Amino acid sequence: MRLKDVIVGAAMTGAGIAYLRMAGNLPEREGVDAATVPGMLAWMMIALGLIEMVGAWRRQPSPTARTGREGIVTVMLTLLLIAGFIAALRPLGFPLATALYLFLQFLVLTPRETRPPVPLYAGLAVASAAVIFMTFRFGFDLLLPAGPLVAWLN
Amino acid sequence: MFDLLIQGFAAVLSPQIFALMVAGTVVGIIFGAVPGLTAVMAIALCLPMTYGLGPAAGISLLIALFVGATSGGLISAILLKIPGTPSSIATTFEGGPMMEKGEGAKALGVGIVFSFLGTIASIAALAFIAPSLARIALTFGPHEYFAIAVFSLTLIATLSSGSMAKGIFAGVLGFAVSTVGIAPVDATTRFTFGQVELNAGFSILTVLVGMFAVAEIIKVAETSRSQIAGTAPMIVKIKGFGFTMAEFLGQIPNATRSALIGIGIGILPGIGAGTSNIIAYIAAKKRSKTPEKFGTGTIEGIVAPETANNAGIGAAMIPLLTLGIPGDAVTAIMLGGLMIHGIQPGPMLFITQAPLVYTIFAALIVSAFLMLVLEFWGLRIFIKLLAIPKHILLPVILVLCAVGAFGLASRIFDIWTILAFGVLGFAFVKAGIPTAPFIIGFILGPMAETSFRRGLQLSRGDYTGFLTNPISGVFLVLAVLSILWQLYGEYRMSRRPDADNPLKLGGEE
Repeated sequence: MRLKDVIVGAAMTGAGIAYLRMAGNLPEREGVDAATVPGMLAWMMIALGLIEMVGAWRRQPSPTARTGREGIVTVMLTLLLIAGFIAALRPLGFPLATALYLFLQFLVLTPRETRPPVPLYAGLAVASAAVIFMTFRFGFDLLLPAGPLVAWLN
Repeated sequence: MFDLLIQGFAAVLSPQIFALMVAGTVVGIIFGAVPGLTAVMAIALCLPMTYGLGPAAGISLLIALFVGATSGGLISAILLKIPGTPSSIATTFEGGPMMEKGEGAKALGVGIVFSFLGTIASIAALAFIAPSLARIALTFGPHEYFAIAVFSLTLIATLSSGSMAKGIFAGVLGFAVSTVGIAPVDATTRFTFGQVELNAGFSILTVLVGMFAVAEIIKVAETSRSQIAGTAPMIVKIKGFGFTMAEFLGQIPNATRSALIGIGIGILPGIGAGTSNIIAYIAAKKRSKTPEKFGTGTIEGIVAPETANNAGIGAAMIPLLTLGIPGDAVTAIMLGGLMIHGIQPGPMLFITQAPLVYTIFAALIVSAFLMLVLEFWGLRIFIKLLAIPKHILLPVILVLCAVGAFGLASRIFDIWTILAFGVLGFAFVKAGIPTAPFIIGFILGPMAETSFRRGLQLSRGDYTGFLTNPISGVFLVLAVLSILWQLYGEYRMSRRPDADNPLKLGGEE
C-alpha cells in the first residue's frame, strides 16, 4: 500500500464530494441546466479518486523523499511573506511593500551554509522594487499602489 | 498567400516590432536557460506588457518569447546537465557527457543550429497544413467541437503523467474551476460565493501564473535552505558553430526524422515538446549505426531532441490557430494572449483576419533567425546569468507575477488569486498530479460545456447526436481508444521494473 497515494486519492474523492454538494445547490431548471456539467464533473472526480485509492492500495510502497522540518518551515514562512506582501500592498504601497518582502524573502531562502550578506540583500531589494515600480508605472502606465509615497511618485 | 506573407514581414520588420522581438527572444532564451523558469512563465509575465501594444506587436512579442524559451533550454541542459525546460530533458543525456569531454562548445553549436532547422521545418508545416485544416474546421458545429475538446482532454490526461487517474483528475478539476462565474447558455451565476469579482470567473493569466510561477517559488523554498550555494559554470570557448560540414550533412536524415516526430507529436493537442524530444532521442538511438555510443556524448543525441522540440512550435500552433485548441501549457497561454488582443482562434481566423495569421507566420520565421543569431552571440552572457542564485531570482519573479496579475484589472484580488493557485500548484507537485492537464481542462472547459449544451439543444436533448454525427463520433471513439491505450500501457509498465522504462517520468512534469 502506498499511503501517500491513498491520501491523495481520498483528497480527490473529497474534492469531488464537495463540488457535488455545491453543484446540488445550484437552481434547477428543466433538462440540461447550469448544474448538469458540474454534476458530471463531480461524479468523475469521485470515481477517479476511488480508482486512485484502490490502485494505491494494491501498489507496493516505495521510498519517497520526505520534506524535512526545515523545508516545511521555509515553505510556511514563504507563504506568510507572500500573503503579508499582498496585504501590505495598499497600506504601504508597492515600493515599500516590495522592498520589505524581497529583503525578508532573500533572508528566508538563503542556503543554510551561506552567511546572508545583509547589506547586499537590502540594496538588491530596494533597487529591484524601484526598477520594477518605475518600469511599470512610467513605462507601461500601470497605476501600482504608491501608498504613503503617493505624493512623490504619481 | 505570398502577398499576405510579404505584408506580414513588412509588419514584423517595422523598427518597433523588430525591437520588441529581439527583446522577447532574449528574455525567452533566458527563461528557457534558467532551470525553474519556463516558457509559460516568460509569456505569462510579459502578457500584461502587451496590453498597450497592437495585436501584431503583442503577438509577435509572445511568439519571440515562445521560440526563444523552447530553444533556450538547451543551454543549461548542456552546460549544467539540468534541463532548463521539460523539452530539453533528452538533450542532457548527450550534452552533459559532451561537456565533460570538453566538447561543450560543439554540443551548443549543434543544438542551436538544429533547433533553428526544427523551427523552420515546423513553420513550413504550419503554413501548408493550417489553411487546409481551417477550411475543414469551418464545417464544424457544437457536436464536433465538443468531441474534439473531449478528445484533447483525454490525450492530455493520458500522456502527461505517470498515473492516468491523476492526469484525468487534473483535467476534470481544471474544467470544474472553469465553471466558476456566469454559466454559458442560461447565464446562471455559479460558485461565486457572493464575490462580485468571481462573476467573470478566474482569469487565464492568474491561473497560469499561480500554477506555474508561484508554485515553482514555493517548491524552491522547500529545498533552498539545504542546497549548496551555486557552483560557477564552466567557461566555454566556441569557434564557428563547432562542427564540420561533413558532420552536419551526416545528421540530415536524423534531423528530418526528428522534425517529423516533433511536428507529428506537436500537432496533436495535449502532447508537447516535453514528450517529442525523448521520443526523437529514442528513435535516433534505435536507428543509429552506433547505438552503443549513446550516453557517452554523441551529436546524434543532441540533434534529435533539439530538432524535435523546436519542430513542435509551429506544429502546436496548427490546432491553436485552426481550432482554438491549445496543444500544451505554452500554447494555452498563447491562446489567452490571442484572446486578450481580441483575436478568437478558429477556422474563421483565416478568413476574417488573414493578414494577422500571416504576420504570425512571419513572426515565427523572424524569431527563428533571431534565436539562431542571439543564442550564438549571447552564450557567454547566458552562462553568467545561470550563476544568479535562485533564492535571489525567484522572489523578484514573484513580484513580477504580482504586478502582472494586478495589471489585469488593477485589483489586489487577482494577486490573492495567484497565491491561491500557487498553493494548489504546489499541492499538485507534492501529490504527483500533473499541472498541464489542469490548465488545458480550464481552457477547454468552457468550450466543451458550451458546445455540449448547444449540441443537445440542436439534437433536442438526444445524447446519441454526438455519436451519430460522423466527425464527433470518430473523435469520441478516438477519446475512448486513447484511454484504453493508456490503460494497456500502464498494465505493461506495471509488469516491468522502473529502470527499464525510460519514459516514465513520474507524476510531475
